[in-house]
Amino acid sequence: MGDLFQETILIGIFAATIRIATPLIFAALGELITEKAGILNLGVEGTMLMAAFAGFAGSFVTGNTLAGLALAMVAGGLMAFLMVFMAATLKVEQVVTGLALNMLAAGMSLYLFKVYFETLSLPTAEVMPYLPIPVLADIPWLGPIFFQQKGLTYLAFLMVPAVWFFLYRTKWGLEIRVLGENPKVIDTKGMSVTLRQYGAVILGGVLIGIGGAFVTIGSVVRFVPDITAGRGWLALVIVIAGNWRPAGVLLAALVFAFLDALQLQIQGIGVDLPYQIFLALPYVIAIVLMVAKSRRGRSEAPARLGIPYFRGER
Amino acid sequence: MRPVLSVHEVTKKFHQVVANDRVSFDVMPGEIHCLLGENGAGKSTIAECIYGFHRPDGGTISVRSKELDLRSPSDAIRSGIGMVHQHFVLVPSMTVLENIVIGTEVATAILDMREAAERIAEICRRYNVEMDLNSRVSALTVGQQQWVEIVKALFLGAEILIMDEPTAVLTPQESRRLFAIFREMCESGMSIILISHKLDEVMQSDRVTVLRKGKKVGTVETRASSKSELTNMMVGREIDLGAPRPRGVIGSPMIELHGLCAQGDLGTPALNGMTLTVHRGEIVGIAGVAGNGQKELFETLTGVRKATDGRVVFDGKEVTNHSPRDIQKAGMGHIPDDRFSEGLVPDFDIQSNLILGAQREPAFSKMGFLRFDAIRQFARDSIEAFAIKAPSAQTACRTLSGGNAQKVIVAREFAQSTKAILANQPSRGLDIGVIEYMHGRLTDKRDENFAILIASEELDELRSLADRIVVIFKGQIVGEFRHDAVDLERIGLLMAGHTGEAAAKTSVGEA
Amino acid sequence: MGIVIEKRLTPSISWQVASILLALLASFIISALLLKSAGADLGKAGAALWDGAFGGWRATWKTLVKATPLMLTGVAAAVAFRARIWNIGAEGQLYAGAIFAYWVSLMVGSLPALFLVPLLFAAGAVGGSLYGGLAGYLRARFEVSEVLSTVMLNYIVLYFLSFMLTNPWRDPSSFFQQSPKVVDNSLLPNLMPGTKLHMGFLVALAVVVIVHLVMTRSSLGYEIRAVGLNEKAARFKGIDVKWVTMVVMLISGGIAGIAGVTEVFGVQGRLNPGISVGFGFIGIIIAVLALLNPVAIVFVAILIGGSINGGIKLQVATGVPSTLIDAIQAIILLFYLAAAVLARYKFRIVSNG
Repeated sequence: MGDLFQETILIGIFAATIRIATPLIFAALGELITEKAGILNLGVEGTMLMAAFAGFAGSFVTGNTLAGLALAMVAGGLMAFLMVFMAATLKVEQVVTGLALNMLAAGMSLYLFKVYFETLSLPTAEVMPYLPIPVLADIPWLGPIFFQQKGLTYLAFLMVPAVWFFLYRTKWGLEIRVLGENPKVIDTKGMSVTLRQYGAVILGGVLIGIGGAFVTIGSVVRFVPDITAGRGWLALVIVIAGNWRPAGVLLAALVFAFLDALQLQIQGIGVDLPYQIFLALPYVIAIVLMVAKSRRGRSEAPARLGIPYFRGER
Repeated sequence: MRPVLSVHEVTKKFHQVVANDRVSFDVMPGEIHCLLGENGAGKSTIAECIYGFHRPDGGTISVRSKELDLRSPSDAIRSGIGMVHQHFVLVPSMTVLENIVIGTEVATAILDMREAAERIAEICRRYNVEMDLNSRVSALTVGQQQWVEIVKALFLGAEILIMDEPTAVLTPQESRRLFAIFREMCESGMSIILISHKLDEVMQSDRVTVLRKGKKVGTVETRASSKSELTNMMVGREIDLGAPRPRGVIGSPMIELHGLCAQGDLGTPALNGMTLTVHRGEIVGIAGVAGNGQKELFETLTGVRKATDGRVVFDGKEVTNHSPRDIQKAGMGHIPDDRFSEGLVPDFDIQSNLILGAQREPAFSKMGFLRFDAIRQFARDSIEAFAIKAPSAQTACRTLSGGNAQKVIVAREFAQSTKAILANQPSRGLDIGVIEYMHGRLTDKRDENFAILIASEELDELRSLADRIVVIFKGQIVGEFRHDAVDLERIGLLMAGHTGEAAAKTSVGEA
Repeated sequence: MGIVIEKRLTPSISWQVASILLALLASFIISALLLKSAGADLGKAGAALWDGAFGGWRATWKTLVKATPLMLTGVAAAVAFRARIWNIGAEGQLYAGAIFAYWVSLMVGSLPALFLVPLLFAAGAVGGSLYGGLAGYLRARFEVSEVLSTVMLNYIVLYFLSFMLTNPWRDPSSFFQQSPKVVDNSLLPNLMPGTKLHMGFLVALAVVVIVHLVMTRSSLGYEIRAVGLNEKAARFKGIDVKWVTMVVMLISGGIAGIAGVTEVFGVQGRLNPGISVGFGFIGIIIAVLALLNPVAIVFVAILIGGSINGGIKLQVATGVPSTLIDAIQAIILLFYLAAAVLARYKFRIVSNG
């Protein structure tokens, strides 16, 4: 285990943490905005998966990762549109809708992949390049950890203060937060509750979509079934563990990412433990975090999370 | 003078039920115009039509002789109409300032609320009201929250202000202050539409339009009318809730609270060492502004909420923090204030609701399975005994009116309890006919030697029903009055938390 | 012109039926488009689907075999959903049941089938029950969302199984992660010669009947429904909601665990990671489509089971990937959820003039 504390290995673990956190941060921030608007989108996993596929497909067809990213954002937005249409317009049970979206994505992404790509032998798509930031990248320790990453990783970390500013310092953010607390306030001022819910959920879906894109074209050249591997579900846990705050979300995402980076490194070193333990660990930690959360004081959970708004209902 | 607002032949239907049937009235500039009627008479519906919340099925609404096309509240707001809802529409976790500026033009892309804060402070100064714009709404008293609602409307430029039952939650003193502010507003040219069923405050208006069963009965000058005339118009017959009912013989203690403490939903103290005794054959009324611990008191007594300190003794036995099931089995019945969310399972039919809580009792179950024949028989009996109006015992409770829903709850609680009945706001939102009926049944129970504890915001109701009135303020009993020594003025002061001379506890003689 | 949506006081039965038909119709149209996009001949594809599902006796009994775990996971989901407890973990509970039953079978060795088979069913129920009960406990004690905890537990049990099958329980003669064959006495008896329709089918039917009776006629079922429809009122009237949560998760997990037994000892004859192909998740679809009614679940499960087998035939016959069926199931569910709104709400067109 002593090897673990060598400088290069530590740097490797931390750099991997930052990289691995990227999709989690995007997805959790997207879900955060969605939940602040009072809508529980359990379809994060499916949204990421569809976006991961769309990103792969876009990058494969055009040879341009940015085109792939754009397509992934559209896919994320479309999945979110389905969610919000069911939740806000039709007022369908949100839990079941979210689950349905996940199943839709699992089946659909695989079907489309098999029909259009698997006929080719081992299709591979362009992957985003690393973008070291000049000067900063050369700082010892910090440089390799923070400043030799991909563009989307930098963006993810910038999104944390940006989402905070959006939610707490702009009029739209205020309105979104009100939706999650008491949508009637919006309604009695003559403003459309539904319209704002659409805006928030679709914006959230686009962010989740970016997270999904990172899983494929941000990391690997191939697409495989279920490539998101539970990251969407972890994003939901991260929102809870982060107590519905952007900074908390960042922290919780880093915890999961660190664990994952650690297990990759430990496996690489060849520690004699069954690898399944490390693979299961994030899910165990997720449960532990949720238990710990329940014992900690005030929850910032939106009061109307998951409850459809109906004018004048008793 | 030309009317500032004209409502002409407005009709509104819900599910084939006619809520408003060709209702017309005018509001003059500078006028307090009262809409008077029983619950279900259509007052709130017409108000929500004026505010653009509902779209009328017929008729017109005009402001300054210009017909409006109200598609949403924003159209009403643009025409200078504001509304304060009976149940406040606020976000408790946000600040006063945030609550006021949501959705106004000062809320620019990036929130800069200094200017807004200035203007709000100015409004407060004009009416001599103090308000901390940066405190969270959840920290305010009900009266302060109401003021936030009024400022919300004024900030949007309201010239016609609709107030839906504004004093339902206020102390008499607070309500007097509110009317003084209304007068000031009217002097500066505003008009106020006041929705109420309380005659005392209706008498302070300029004109009254009386509604009954969705139809307009008439509009009268308040000065030229009288309470009894208005009552007659409203109910269509003479009523007399004020008549004291024969007092029972008060027996030994049944429910005793000793220094009871409990927390509210947000973890803040709600009961702060409450001490109170209810005797056999006695009705004790709890007077107080909503939110002073009434709900928590009933929930702690029935075991739904945990007591953090103090004791509850029921018929000589300690029941502090016993399970709701045990306390019910010990003979305590509970009529909660929120019928459809706490008292009933709305999607269950009447017969299922009538056995809620007794589903494992031998009367209704055998070897773990329900005895449907016995349940149906019990339902038939209850429906008859309590005159519940419903197509059948298999009717879902969500389709029942408030009065019939309450009767289902009362029938169930009367059947399941043997010693005491707790009732929180039992007559809220009910017709006078049903209220009279409920009062009769509760008095009967008292005469059967039950201990009865009732909380109500209607002091008149308590005066007519209770053998003893106690006043609750911030989770404590701050005053006590025997039925023959009730002083409404002092009760009002105590409800508002005024101590000193007025709060000197009236001692109760032994009964 | 505008559309006003009003809640119906009582859902309309005729619209409920209509909404199911509408959802099916819309899903068929989408399926046709997807098939077209894959370049398949619609007539051929349809014939292959039918052939694989109900085309003849062989296809039919195979469909009933497939429907067996689906009936169980469907009922497992329905019991929980009735209480508004979102048990998404039937998949994991199925595996937990399978693992526990397999472990018991290793422990007891070869007993006469008369004793062994019931013991294995009981063991599967216990395993699933414990695993479901864990999520129930986390919810009752710590208010941990059962949606998320059951999803996490689904992942965890799969890694545990993978560990067991790479180490202590590994079949040394195989390259795959799988256990050796179970002893013959533990295999579920066949119901009909010449088929592989096993006893699990009857067990599943029995579970459906029992659950139906308990939910509609017992005091416990009454309490479960009361908690699902209005938890607050139930709590106010002395129903112990935490206790009900625990009981529901134990029952629901136990039923899912039985599905693990039918797959290990009725179909595969050994423990492997492929004993379920998402049965736990498909059970959710089945439960919702069947309006949480156990009897309706039997029929929906058979239809869905048929569609899965039809999908396999479809792939063989036309080359269209069978995952199409997974996508279509989700599409049917989404359309159904949307169409069910017709039964609950009234749409009125109003003129704004």
